[in-house]
Amino acid sequence: MTALAQNTTKTTATVSPPTKAPRRRRAWLFTIAAGIIALVVNVPLLNAVLVSFKPDGEIAKNPISLPTSPTLDHYANVLYASGYDFPRFFANSAMIAVGTVLLVLIIAIPATYAIVRLNFGGRWIISSASGLRLLPAIFFVVPFFILFSTLGLADTIPGLIAANTFLNLPLAIILLSSALGDIPQEIEEAAAVDGASIYRTLGSIVLPLLAPTMVAVSVLVFIFSWNDYLFALVLSTSDATPVTLGAANFITSTGIRWGDISAASVLSTLPPLLFAVFAQRYLVSGLSSGAVKG
Amino acid sequence: MPSTVVERPRSTATERRKRTTAALILSLPLILFAAVFVIYPLASGALTAFQSSTLLDQSNEPNGIDNFISLFRSDGFAKAAGFTVGFSAVVVVIEMVLGFALALLMNRAFPGKKLFFTLLLLPIMVAPALLGVMFRLLLNGDIGALPALLDSVGLSVSLFSPDSVIPLLVVLDVLQWTPFTFLIIYAGLQSFPKELLEASAMDGAGYVRSLTSVIVPVLKPVLFAAFFLRAIDAIRTFDVIYVLTAGGPGTSTTTLSIYIYKTAFESGDFGKAAAAALVVLVCLIPFVPFIVRRISSTGMEAKK
Amino acid sequence: MSKVVDAYNAGQGKDDGVDVELTLLSRQDTFSKEAALMASKSSDVDIYFTASYNIGQFAPSLEPLTDIDTSAYFPVAAEGLTYEDELYALPLDVSNHFLLYRKDLVDALLSDPAAQAEYETVSESVLGEKRAPKDPAEWDLDDFKVAAAYFSKSENPDSPTEYGTILQAKNLLYNTMIWNDVLWGYGGNWEEDGQAALTSDAAKKAVELYADIYENGWTSPDSAQAEFPETQAALQSGDTAFAIQWSAAFAALNDPAQSPDVAGKIAIAPVPGGKTHVHALAVSLNKYSENKAAAKKFLSFLASTDAMTQYAEAGGIPPMPEVLEAQAAVNPAFAQVSKTIDENGFSEPVFPQTFQAYSKLAEDLSGAWVGQTDVDDALETANANLQELLG
Repeated sequence: MTALAQNTTKTTATVSPPTKAPRRRRAWLFTIAAGIIALVVNVPLLNAVLVSFKPDGEIAKNPISLPTSPTLDHYANVLYASGYDFPRFFANSAMIAVGTVLLVLIIAIPATYAIVRLNFGGRWIISSASGLRLLPAIFFVVPFFILFSTLGLADTIPGLIAANTFLNLPLAIILLSSALGDIPQEIEEAAAVDGASIYRTLGSIVLPLLAPTMVAVSVLVFIFSWNDYLFALVLSTSDATPVTLGAANFITSTGIRWGDISAASVLSTLPPLLFAVFAQRYLVSGLSSGAVKG
Repeated sequence: MPSTVVERPRSTATERRKRTTAALILSLPLILFAAVFVIYPLASGALTAFQSSTLLDQSNEPNGIDNFISLFRSDGFAKAAGFTVGFSAVVVVIEMVLGFALALLMNRAFPGKKLFFTLLLLPIMVAPALLGVMFRLLLNGDIGALPALLDSVGLSVSLFSPDSVIPLLVVLDVLQWTPFTFLIIYAGLQSFPKELLEASAMDGAGYVRSLTSVIVPVLKPVLFAAFFLRAIDAIRTFDVIYVLTAGGPGTSTTTLSIYIYKTAFESGDFGKAAAAALVVLVCLIPFVPFIVRRISSTGMEAKK
Repeated sequence: MSKVVDAYNAGQGKDDGVDVELTLLSRQDTFSKEAALMASKSSDVDIYFTASYNIGQFAPSLEPLTDIDTSAYFPVAAEGLTYEDELYALPLDVSNHFLLYRKDLVDALLSDPAAQAEYETVSESVLGEKRAPKDPAEWDLDDFKVAAAYFSKSENPDSPTEYGTILQAKNLLYNTMIWNDVLWGYGGNWEEDGQAALTSDAAKKAVELYADIYENGWTSPDSAQAEFPETQAALQSGDTAFAIQWSAAFAALNDPAQSPDVAGKIAIAPVPGGKTHVHALAVSLNKYSENKAAAKKFLSFLASTDAMTQYAEAGGIPPMPEVLEAQAAVNPAFAQVSKTIDENGFSEPVFPQTFQAYSKLAEDLSGAWVGQTDVDDALETANANLQELLG
């Protein structure tokens, strides 16, 4: 096999001068293809970026052109000038999303370990956990509302963290359990033989191995809880309002303030984007170790 | 040697006890959370389904299966279910095929790959509720960029006419969620044993053949995971369609989520909404174990 | 509204010992949110935003407002908020419809004999009779239809606009309100003596008017999914000559900064057929409120002409004829609002399920409005559903 492989490399090496250039050209073809697809899927967002810099009058007047007299008014409206407390909405969204990520991990990791490795509850729990995500979220809206009012969680950040954790736990458990399935059990057994406790094995051996998946789960959970609208609508009144809900304020009974809502949409996409860029390397490796097995 | 033979059973017994305790302790957060935030709302929601709970009648008197009778007496629920299943099936299939193709396309080195990879994932990061509003502007026949662009090359389209609105919704869903199936499948391809691919390429198998006979079978669990995660979200589709069509014209684009939302918040009939949600849950439950088995097969086997 | 609240908190609120905190949501969201609050008998909020069309539904969760002098309000606004002889809300903002039209285009038509001849030809083919163009203030629904055809390229290639009008035909309760103008304009009504009356000739004519306009391309095909913002866009872009639209739309269309193409060219006339739906956005007292006395103080403040004058200055349309007339300088539409509500306004019957009826009619009829479902079938379904909601 090795010999054969070397052989082939040699053959390609000998003919390399004529083939190298076309190959590089072919690589650029892929760049172009990927670029076009990336452009197409992002048309709505690009349009929002464009609109967010146009003065009100221009939005209706020149739908496709670049803004002729670009303005930052819409961003000013979003950030401070509209009378809405957007910086606070952003802070709320950030606390909700980060809080949800942490809570999801704290709950999902040990539980998944118990389910997969220690035989706790077995398949039943994984099934029902993933089944929950099937339910229209609306089913839970009213019971949640009543529950939260009794617990004093209505319109609080912890309340929305709990709600989003509820929504995202199934995803985390599914991804973590298959990642855990990929980690060879022998390592843990060896640790146990060496006298390490279960908690120690989990903490110092399993966790590092799970790290990429944890990052991938974090990114997805962050995105989903940042973007939640329905639960936020019912469970927040004013103190815990996140950005998605705040942006809806620009849909008024006298029309939609297109420029303002575009600016709000663009701004609200930035945090998940930054998080994803930051974690990109782990996003793929985390999901791949989790999702694939031979 | 003999001593180990004697000691083994004892250590397994204590160890088993230890493992059970540990399992309980480790699962405690989940159990507590589930008890408060899952079991209770689930039970109370299910209870509501058998009560008369409307804004006009807040007595919460049990009314037997009245909510279910009224649910099935009109054809709204069945139509919404039909549309949801059809719509989900179409979008998920398209998103799977395109996501897979995109993953294959991206599964190689080329200049600018990192940048485009991030850009391809960008649509997932836009809040669906806001995306719906963005589409309303982008696609508006009078002031939207897309119709204006098409118009400038001599194409006149009416995206929102009753004949084109459903295909339009399919395209929009595909645009937003193909990146998601792409991400999962791409991640799967990354850990794909390279030797397998090279081997199949070397024995002269064509690209298509190696695709169907090597890549797809090995990738099956990943494809299932992508399919399942995407399908459960497609069945809950709400935001974009609600913002664009509110379920119309008539009820032709009403999804189950929109139906339940309208029943609860427009008609104020929480009992009937809960009944509808319960029916959806009961219909979907049988599929869950099957799919979960497919996805987490290795995780489960390792335990044995 | 927030300006009025600020003024209250800074001024009279101090005397009353009341501090009002306002939560703003978009309209659809507000009512969803309130429905959830009411379903759980919550006391989180003391004062709810309500409206004529949901007061019947929300009444069980609201405290009737006694001892409030309503004589300064439009009678139709106060009536719309009265349910079983009790006033459940204070009107805050009135909404009605106007015909918003391009005055420049209509003037050009009226002063050009060749165009008038063309108009008569169009009229002949649309109505079967030659009608001369008229001032929009005198239009009936037939004139509306002919003009829609005349100003559409599909009927009249020389038309200055692509489409004559834009129908708001999305499946949405607010669009039922606009269609109601046509229904009432043809002499129809929702109910006669408690019996649903949507199988009447008037109802049929009203749906057919929409369907004819839609199928003939005298409105954009996209109007199947149009509501307020889409109509606004159609008028702003100059693609459309006129539309039946909410009174609140006028200010933005006439503002050069927001609508550079059409500002100054848009005029207002009563809705053809002479009837306009009127509803009031309002404030109500939560039955489960723990601060009823304080809330009542604030409500009394809102019922004063002073508060409503501040509200008008902040951009609202207060439901007091006196205030509207005094503030005509703030918004040129105010005088017309006052006149048209007085002369043409009607409010739909208030019954517990009025809100559902609007939604249901939109759901049952929106298919027929755009020619997708059969008119008679749609009306029959709608009638049966309305009958059920009437109880």
